[in-house]
Amino acid sequence: MNILELHGVTKQFGGLVAVSAVDLEVPQGSIFSVIGPNGAGKTTLFNCISGFYRPEAGRIIFDGVSLVGLRPDQIAALGIARTYQNIRLFGRMTAIENILVGQHSRLKSGLAGALFRLPRTRREEQEALDKAHQLLDFVGLSGYGDMFAHNLPYGQQRRLELARALASEPRLLLLDEPAAGMNPRETEELMAFIRRIRDELHLTILLIEHDMRVVMGISDIVAVLDFGEKICEGTPQEVRCNPRVIEAYLGKGVA
Amino acid sequence: MGLRTGIRTGLIAAIVTIFLILIGVHMLMGRLLQSWFYVPAHWPGVWLMVVLLGLWAGSRAVGQMKARSWGNTLLAGASAGIIQGALVGAALYLLASITQAGVDLRAWLTQMSQESIAALTLGLAPLPAAGFIGGVLLVSAVAGAAWREWRLRVHAARLARGERTVSLRERLLEIPAVAQVSSNPLSRRVLMGVFMVLLLIAPFFLGQYWNYNLGTVGIYVILGLGLNIVVGMAGLLDLGYVAFFAVGAYTMALLTAPQPHHIQMSFWLALPIGVLLAAIAGILLGIPVLRMRGDYLAIVTLGFGEIIRILSKSDVLTGFTGGPRGVRNVGHPVLFGKDIGNEFYFFYFILIGVILAIIITRRLEHSRVGRAWRAMREDEKVAQAMGIYTLKYKLMAFAMGAAMAGFSGAIFASRNSFTGPEDFVLLVSINVLALVIVGGMGSIPGVILGAFVLKGLPEILRELEDYRVLVFGALLVVMMIVRPQGLWPASRPQLERPRPEEEALEEAPAELVEGEVGS
Ligand SMILES: Nc1ncnc2c1ncn2[C@@H]1O[C@H](COP(=O)(O)OP(=O)(O)OP(=O)(O)O)[C@@H](O)[C@H]1O
Ligand SMILES: [Mg+2]
Repeated sequence: MNILELHGVTKQFGGLVAVSAVDLEVPQGSIFSVIGPNGAGKTTLFNCISGFYRPEAGRIIFDGVSLVGLRPDQIAALGIARTYQNIRLFGRMTAIENILVGQHSRLKSGLAGALFRLPRTRREEQEALDKAHQLLDFVGLSGYGDMFAHNLPYGQQRRLELARALASEPRLLLLDEPAAGMNPRETEELMAFIRRIRDELHLTILLIEHDMRVVMGISDIVAVLDFGEKICEGTPQEVRCNPRVIEAYLGKGVA
Repeated sequence: MGLRTGIRTGLIAAIVTIFLILIGVHMLMGRLLQSWFYVPAHWPGVWLMVVLLGLWAGSRAVGQMKARSWGNTLLAGASAGIIQGALVGAALYLLASITQAGVDLRAWLTQMSQESIAALTLGLAPLPAAGFIGGVLLVSAVAGAAWREWRLRVHAARLARGERTVSLRERLLEIPAVAQVSSNPLSRRVLMGVFMVLLLIAPFFLGQYWNYNLGTVGIYVILGLGLNIVVGMAGLLDLGYVAFFAVGAYTMALLTAPQPHHIQMSFWLALPIGVLLAAIAGILLGIPVLRMRGDYLAIVTLGFGEIIRILSKSDVLTGFTGGPRGVRNVGHPVLFGKDIGNEFYFFYFILIGVILAIIITRRLEHSRVGRAWRAMREDEKVAQAMGIYTLKYKLMAFAMGAAMAGFSGAIFASRNSFTGPEDFVLLVSINVLALVIVGGMGSIPGVILGAFVLKGLPEILRELEDYRVLVFGALLVVMMIVRPQGLWPASRPQLERPRPEEEALEEAPAELVEGEVGS
């Protein structure tokens, strides 16, 4: 079963067609990678899925629900979370608070609950805090919980961003170049981590990545974008051997 | 390197110094020292300020330096001092010569009296006087630089020995008595209790004048806490905040005064109506400006504030609002048949309002709503992607802030028995914003401190009435340079519970946790 389907999604900026009639079918529980040279439209595609951009044409179906026209917060509430190519944390909030914000759509309390400290709200807050601690441990950040996010070292910021995304208990996780700026050892660990969250939390992962070891190592399916168009799709083996891909993308590395 | 930073800092310091002199802050310092510490003359305060500014310039130059060495320090301190000294000396030379020629500078600069300049020239001729102040600044700057270098070295040595840097708060906690009080919730409560009792009995001793002024400070604390929600938490720059204060005040006035509407409703009924109407006004203003950000939002809200004032003033609406002359005989609160509308009772009334506002702010800040506001302030787009419906939360912030302003406005009008358009000039918005910024954006103690500094202090310095606005200007400029985070910045919530086996890990997390992802 496909948890996410894109049909003919097109996004233009003025005359530039950043994403051109892209079709994707992401099976439930898979690790699905999107690769392509710089400016191929990968991030733009993510922005269309998460509701930041409204595509000019095409349909995006998440678990039977059409996403086009929904607001980003509605899409998040449906169970889609993401990280960003350039880390975007809430800098002047602590690590724990970042994770608590991540849980926003799973929590209910509003003004009245907070003002009158209703028992329901207190229980909810307590549980949210417990869960934040678990996630902090899960990504290996215990001890950093009370630090402002902008004071964390780069590597920890990446982990915190992951923890924040996981906090919303998503069913689909969009990762935009999570290995950027990591050394080989960290990259290795990241791959194991991605597999682990897929298996333990039963997530589907849509991954943008430039690092070929990551892509070839963990993907079930790889789709290749070039100038906004999907030029090929298949298992890592198939994609690696596809002549169009070698020309458009891997070719640069080979040459 | 030291030379460049020195020159740059010297320039900034010179501008600040000249500005402070032009608006007469040196005389203010002189008189303060005179009246507070019984110093017999005003020159010690005047020159204390000059020396402090020199020390500051030198210390700042060293603080900004990248390469550390005593040679660099000397260079930075001396160059900062020379620039600062030369420019300030030149300015003083000009001022002194002009005054000597018989020109009265007060026509342009209200604080530039003969006396004010004489305090700096010390009776010398312009040229030697300029030399003297320049020399004092140079020596002070070098001393400031050396002092800073020494502090930095001590600090570095401490770091090298593996000691952590300690903040003022932590250092206070090292004092056994302080540690005991602050770690023991009971003694903390006792301390709070003592403070509360002092506040409660204060009005019996303070007399009308101070009760009134403390009440004003309290009203500004409530206003500040309300604006703090909008600006400090939600990050929406609202320059028309006074509009909601006006809605509260006019609601109270029009509903309780005999003119122009003969409604003469009870204060107790008019108060919640005022709060409600202000909140609704907040939402109504919110809807059109929701999609604006930053500067646009500031301009539109500023316009809204002025529109409310102009409307209240306009002839067309005189029949409804009382026009330019305002509304007189605004109703007082009556309790058990007794009119409790004087400064004394209002003090308590406002105190309750302040406590309520503090409780509301604290509860909201660390709730799902408060976190959503702050997340929005940090990064609106990402907040949306976290499931936060930003439009809704912006309206909530506007409404909460406006409700608090409405409450203060209603009390303000009733306490003064009067309200009119001139109560709601732009300066009120700016004052409230200033106290939020001066105190420390997003911090409750900061807002209270800010209100005291900006509304209370000027009353203490009553005799210096004319300086007020100028002093605030200077204060704000100095604040921005010296302490951009505010007097009492917001603290980080401590939510992480260290578990026994992980305490060691808290000490040195960097090495231990590195590379645990996925293991
Ligand atoms: N908001 C925008 N306005 C105008 N053009 C945009 C915008 N966002 C992206 N683009 C353009 O769309 C194209 C695709 O950009 P996108 O960021 O999706 O590429 P990418 O595949 O993520 O590249 P990279 O690997 O460098 O991250 C680029 O040419 C980019 O300049
Ligand atoms: Mg990208």
